[in-house]
Amino acid sequence: MAGINIGKAPKDIAVLPFFAAGAVFFLLLAVLLFIAAPDLTGHYFSPRILALVHTAALGWGTMIIFGAAYQLLPVICERDLFSSPLAFISFLFLTAGSLLLIGTFWFFKTGGIMVTGGSLIFIAALLYSINVWKTARSCDRYAIAKCFILSSSLWLLLTIGIGLLLAVNLAFPFFDKSHLEILKLHAHAGLAGWFLQLITGVSIKLVPMFLLGKSQKDKLLRAALILQNAGLILFLTDGYFFGISIRTLLYATLLIAGIICWMLYIADVYRRRVKKKTDMAMKHVPVSFVFLLISLLLVPVVFYKGGTAAVVYGTCIFMGWITALILGKTFKTLPFIVWNSHYKNLNGKVKIPLPKDLYSFTLLKYQYWLYIISMPLLLIGLVFASLIIIRISLFIWTVMAIIYLQNVLKILFHQTRIYDGNINR
Amino acid sequence: MEISIDDPFFNEKSLALADLYNVIDPELFINIVDLGLVYDLDFSQEGKIIVTMTLSTPHCPLGDAITTGVKNALADDFPNREAEVNLVWEPVWNYDMLTEEGRKQLGF
Repeated sequence: MAGINIGKAPKDIAVLPFFAAGAVFFLLLAVLLFIAAPDLTGHYFSPRILALVHTAALGWGTMIIFGAAYQLLPVICERDLFSSPLAFISFLFLTAGSLLLIGTFWFFKTGGIMVTGGSLIFIAALLYSINVWKTARSCDRYAIAKCFILSSSLWLLLTIGIGLLLAVNLAFPFFDKSHLEILKLHAHAGLAGWFLQLITGVSIKLVPMFLLGKSQKDKLLRAALILQNAGLILFLTDGYFFGISIRTLLYATLLIAGIICWMLYIADVYRRRVKKKTDMAMKHVPVSFVFLLISLLLVPVVFYKGGTAAVVYGTCIFMGWITALILGKTFKTLPFIVWNSHYKNLNGKVKIPLPKDLYSFTLLKYQYWLYIISMPLLLIGLVFASLIIIRISLFIWTVMAIIYLQNVLKILFHQTRIYDGNINR
Repeated sequence: MEISIDDPFFNEKSLALADLYNVIDPELFINIVDLGLVYDLDFSQEGKIIVTMTLSTPHCPLGDAITTGVKNALADDFPNREAEVNLVWEPVWNYDMLTEEGRKQLGF
């Protein structure tokens, strides 16, 4: 092998529990949304909305992203994952912390249990970051994707650190600034630091890999890294010391310019792709970009008007951009690790299924179209404050979440089979 | 990869190449020969087949499965030789290395 490390896939416990729990949290999110539908037309600072946002951000988004990151870090850093057991321990902390936090927000029980939930999530983030740093540190080659992954883990720690302080502040007020102002900083450190930079880092490695496309425009990526971080650092610093002001729009412009650089890079990869057929999982990517663009266009509206615009903005980010990406990428990552553990040693020996045969394409198709129907309906319902439209859209959303869970479980509980009909285990 | 008719191991290499058509890249659903991942087959050492090849992505998560597939695919037809995979990153794999069939399957 000429001493080349070709890569051992991380152990199943470092990845699979995250996808299983994430799919369950996604269904929980759908059910909670349906129950709390009337709250969606009110102010975002309400117990149920806080519970919903944390279900989406932690139980769904962060849960799946942790699992996917543990699977993909070795690809990005070209080294094996530092520790699979540490990854599993972070899963336990993240799950327990998310449940505590969601429950305490929903029933608005501030105090010890809420702070404990926040602390458990902080420990999960710390364990994740240790795995990221240790894996990335041994990476010989400079890679811009690695920089995004490292910076996103720092933003994750900051976001959760601020969140923990906010949880303490709810029970024992100590901030000399407005809780709501700090909440905005906490939310945007999470959105533009953790989610955006992680997604940017992973996508610039994965999209070329999936589409067999290469772009030479690395300058765009360097610009994206600088602009995204500069915009966010300025926003947080100015926002903390001087409060949210008109300057926020300037910082937002820097950040949006960073997002545009990233999108231009992905568009260049897409133009140069060798694999012309776009599969159903990859079709989710442009949809997610549409919702990201809508949310960016809403920034000035949220700044000047707030209210419903803020809820629509958050919905476009969590249920649009992040959810569409995860709904598609699940089927580009999860089947591979399961396939690897079932068929690695049978490959080339007998006729075996491909990773794409581990899930139902029909269910994925239904999931995609139900998502495409429910999201615009939900946004229309929110804009016109129509509870009936919101409820119809969330009913469709719940059916979609059930279908997603079913397909994820189909992959997780796959039985090894070879095409002469034998079941090996 | 092309095999010269003058090659002393022409028959063995042809058979090995046919075997390697059964090893599929699980992401792209195309065999590794049409993808152009196989660079060389060496039968010169007694009891060994050295397959020099690359992967489309360095540290591909399925790299281990693909190299195991290569060894498995050669085991039946060459019971007296042990297959070894010599994985290289030079020359770097690129799309020009795809065969006509590979290009067709990717939708060119």
